[in-house]
Amino acid sequence: MFSKREIMSYSAVICDKRQNFAVITLNRPESDNVINQQLAQEMVDICRELNEDEEVRVVVLTGAGGVFCGGSELAVPCGVAAAIASLEKPVVAAINGDALGQGLELVLSCDIRLAVSGAKLSFPQVTKGILPMDGGTQRLARIAGRGKALEMLFTGETLTAEEAYNVGLVNKVVEREALVSEAETMATDLAGKAPIALRYAKEAVNKGLDVTLEQGLRLEADLYFLLHTTDDRTEGIRAFQEKRSPDFKGR
Amino acid sequence: MSNFETIIYEKQDNVGYITLNRPKALNVYNIQMRDELYQVLGALKDDPEVKVGVLRAAGERAFCAGADLTEFLTAPSPTIARQVRWQRDVWGLFLGIKKPMLAALHGYVFGSGIEMALCCDIRIASDDVQLGVPETGLGIIPAAGGTQTLPRTIGRGYALELLLSGRWIKAEEALRIKLVDRVVPRNELWPVVDQLAAKIGEHSASMLSYAKQAVTRGLDLTLEQGLELEFRLGTSLLEEKMQEEAI
Repeated sequence: MFSKREIMSYSAVICDKRQNFAVITLNRPESDNVINQQLAQEMVDICRELNEDEEVRVVVLTGAGGVFCGGSELAVPCGVAAAIASLEKPVVAAINGDALGQGLELVLSCDIRLAVSGAKLSFPQVTKGILPMDGGTQRLARIAGRGKALEMLFTGETLTAEEAYNVGLVNKVVEREALVSEAETMATDLAGKAPIALRYAKEAVNKGLDVTLEQGLRLEADLYFLLHTTDDRTEGIRAFQEKRSPDFKGR
Repeated sequence: MSNFETIIYEKQDNVGYITLNRPKALNVYNIQMRDELYQVLGALKDDPEVKVGVLRAAGERAFCAGADLTEFLTAPSPTIARQVRWQRDVWGLFLGIKKPMLAALHGYVFGSGIEMALCCDIRIASDDVQLGVPETGLGIIPAAGGTQTLPRTIGRGYALELLLSGRWIKAEEALRIKLVDRVVPRNELWPVVDQLAAKIGEHSASMLSYAKQAVTRGLDLTLEQGLELEFRLGTSLLEEKMQEEAI
């Protein structure tokens, strides 16, 4: 669905590296992109690789076919959400269809969420007495708030993309045919920002929410002053003063 | 007290008004404003006559369009800059004020502008407001507390989107994601804030201070610790009240 440049060969996942961002596509459309051992291992490997790849400034996660990810075949958590969350660069979820169970946990471990109109999001496993175990209970409450999180966990309630937007679980709802271009536009836009500043902004928010405000302010200031040592800071400020687009090198 | 160049500070009844006053420069935040804000916030914090603070800005176009970037490339070394940051901790001082602080936002509210607004407790915006955190496009991150106060105010999902993308948002969206608490027509902005400040100012200074502490500090604690804090603050308030009544 995305135009291809450098495509890594995996069997359950496609990793398509573009100029300065990468698109990971869950690629088991015949099985609703349900996570199996193969897919889980490939995702862990890809995330590790992309994290170290300096050319990749932004990661987009999507699914092949009409479903984003229908859940998991594995009884125990597979660590895919954790692998995505460990990416230091921005991760955009392009939710092309339903994200259920562990599929929703993958969505929650991304930073910005775009969803096609009508996509369904839920934790259906709770109706069988099973708790999300790949970060779902923690990340859902931190993103959508305590009330909505508990309601979804108590009832297995399914949210449409529109409802998810209303509770802050999805940043933007788009029509199906617009998803790819929206996700690419967003990835290109993010890739034009200073890469180290993006990583530090993500770290400041995510780590900062785990500590007191006072400790978070310390973290922010330390990261801010570390950025003083980068060429990109000088470039960004010069470009602004000269009214031109900055050319960030990630240094 | 008004020997300031970048700020006006006025007291009316029990409200302290801080007005950013560099309208020709869209009220951008510079070193001088930092130093003056530091003095003014200290005065507001310690003045027993002031129960409520209001932060607003002069001029038609902007509350504050960010930081003065012309000063950025002449900054001292990172180690010296870091030392200065904590020697004169204007944001720690701002966030540590125990009185209710209201922000009246209009026009451009970018970078440091949003961050100052987020140091306040309640944000009222006029319908012409535009807000954004453009820092990552400049090779930096917010440094006036924005990476901490923004997610604590609007949640992780929206905060990451705004901080990573630098996207500008308008009044309607700001209200929807609760970045601002109320939107009013431009000509009603200051009167609405005045009315709210007056209403808040009717209450006891201790109660206001304890309520602010209970909520803001409580949210940084476990619920159990937050409940203990609430009980401690509530008890102190009751004791103060009984002492007053005994006199």
